[in-house]
Amino acid sequence: MILAHASLLPKLGLSVFFLSAIATAGAAADLKIGMPNWPSGQASANIIKYGIEKQFGLSVDVEEMGTLIIFAGLDSGKVDVHPEVWQPNFDSLIKKYVDDRKTVQLSPKEVSAEQGLCATKETADKYGVKDVSDLLDPVKTKVFDTDGDGKGEMWIGADTWSSTAIERIRAKSYGYDQTMTLLSMPEDVAMAAVDAAAATGEPIVFYCYSPHHVFRLHDIVHLTEPAHDDAKWKIVLPSDDTEWLSKSEAPVAWPASHFEIGFSSSMAERLPKVASFLSNIDFTPEEIIEMSYILQVERQDPASFAKAWIAAHGDRLSAWSK
Amino acid sequence: MKRYFGSGTLRTTGLGIGRASLAALAAIVVGATLAYAAQTQIFDPQTRKWVDYDKKKARQFHAAHKQVPEAFRRQVVDFRTAEKPGTIIIDGNQHFLYLVQPGLKAIRYGIGVGREGFGWAGIVRVGRTAEWPTWTPPAEMVARDPNAAKFANGMPGGPDNPLGARALYLYQGDQDTIYRIHGTPEPWTIGLDVSSGCIRMNNDDIVDLHSRIEIGAKVIVLMQGASLYKGV
Repeated sequence: MILAHASLLPKLGLSVFFLSAIATAGAAADLKIGMPNWPSGQASANIIKYGIEKQFGLSVDVEEMGTLIIFAGLDSGKVDVHPEVWQPNFDSLIKKYVDDRKTVQLSPKEVSAEQGLCATKETADKYGVKDVSDLLDPVKTKVFDTDGDGKGEMWIGADTWSSTAIERIRAKSYGYDQTMTLLSMPEDVAMAAVDAAAATGEPIVFYCYSPHHVFRLHDIVHLTEPAHDDAKWKIVLPSDDTEWLSKSEAPVAWPASHFEIGFSSSMAERLPKVASFLSNIDFTPEEIIEMSYILQVERQDPASFAKAWIAAHGDRLSAWSK
Repeated sequence: MKRYFGSGTLRTTGLGIGRASLAALAAIVVGATLAYAAQTQIFDPQTRKWVDYDKKKARQFHAAHKQVPEAFRRQVVDFRTAEKPGTIIIDGNQHFLYLVQPGLKAIRYGIGVGREGFGWAGIVRVGRTAEWPTWTPPAEMVARDPNAAKFANGMPGGPDNPLGARALYLYQGDQDTIYRIHGTPEPWTIGLDVSSGCIRMNNDDIVDLHSRIEIGAKVIVLMQGASLYKGV
């Protein structure tokens, strides 16, 4: 997930659901976790909250906010933890706050992630769309045409995500911008379209990132692509140049992505055992998907889920506390 | 263009027009002249051919069977989604409206959509509802259509009212989008792209939907299909 301006993103319908995890306003807690608005970040924020409370007897607030605000809060001391700092998505923030100002630290434990193009398995098997080059074949892309103009339609991300601009660059570079109409919309609209396509067997192709509960909800496959090559990955973002699209070229897969927990340097000084705990947390991608699925799809209460998860994983908590 | 299997399946969902009734439909439609470009096709298992389902054929089918083809009738379907129960998802391309239910199910209704679709896609909410709503034709319709001009100040609710038995008014924030999900006195139009806008449902279905939703319900209009995303 690329959220260049995460604080500007519309809520994804998750806010109310997760309010129950937020500590009572007004009672100053010992620590504050800034919670992003995407599913896996919300799951891990709650696990971290209850883990710290159980292991250290501290009170922890969870508050939903955008990544830019979280980083500003980590810098000023108003926020202590960001549960998912995505790379390369937040590289500019990492350079500013981690490398230059040194007010934010990152856990060494990385969770590997993927970004790219996905389709339902039925789309791949029945319609033969398995590789990004298949999107250059007008005969194949015609099955994605829903308005009769001869071009297919595909979602490439939300308006405010920088990944959406990069997907536009990739479409131009590969050439499937000529065979597909590229649509940007809030993620909920795109995921509901995947739900409807899966329910009726209709073909669909879309931008995807993982870990994400859609991989548990539906049978989803990645389209294969030429391996990432830094030499061919020339990205100029709209925020940097109005001629960003013509100046960019990226006819290859995304670079390997990953995320880790970020926390403020001041908190690390004040509570070194908590900093050590955060640095030892080693969620797997599969665990992140499972957590997202349980909270987003099964709609379990996040507080109850987090407490139960912690109760069932005492060995993990003990290991993280060493 | 959407295609619906008539052999008991709508592609993979196990729905569609029954064999006998489809044969009747096929007999009716042979040689028919298309009044509109076909947007929908259904599969005739006897001839193993796709049959255009347009306004004329839809009307004939409805006259013969007193209901719409099975695919467009209200039914509970499997629907795996992260959206919470009570959310409405509108798939104009396939002419379906889903009302999400617990347990990864949804109630699926057939809908008719405008020739130009909604003209947009995105997330709105049900701002208010009305029973047997008054219909006020837009000014341009009043200007060009003498029948509409008679109701320039509003047509009272009733069986002939174009909005049908119920209307759900779609809002973005606190603003009325002017788009509605409403009933219709022309039930044969379900499954087609023939209305002048909005989403229309059979009166029985809009009454059913109206009874199940809450004010504030989230409504997702999908990007796919019949101009729905034009202007996005």
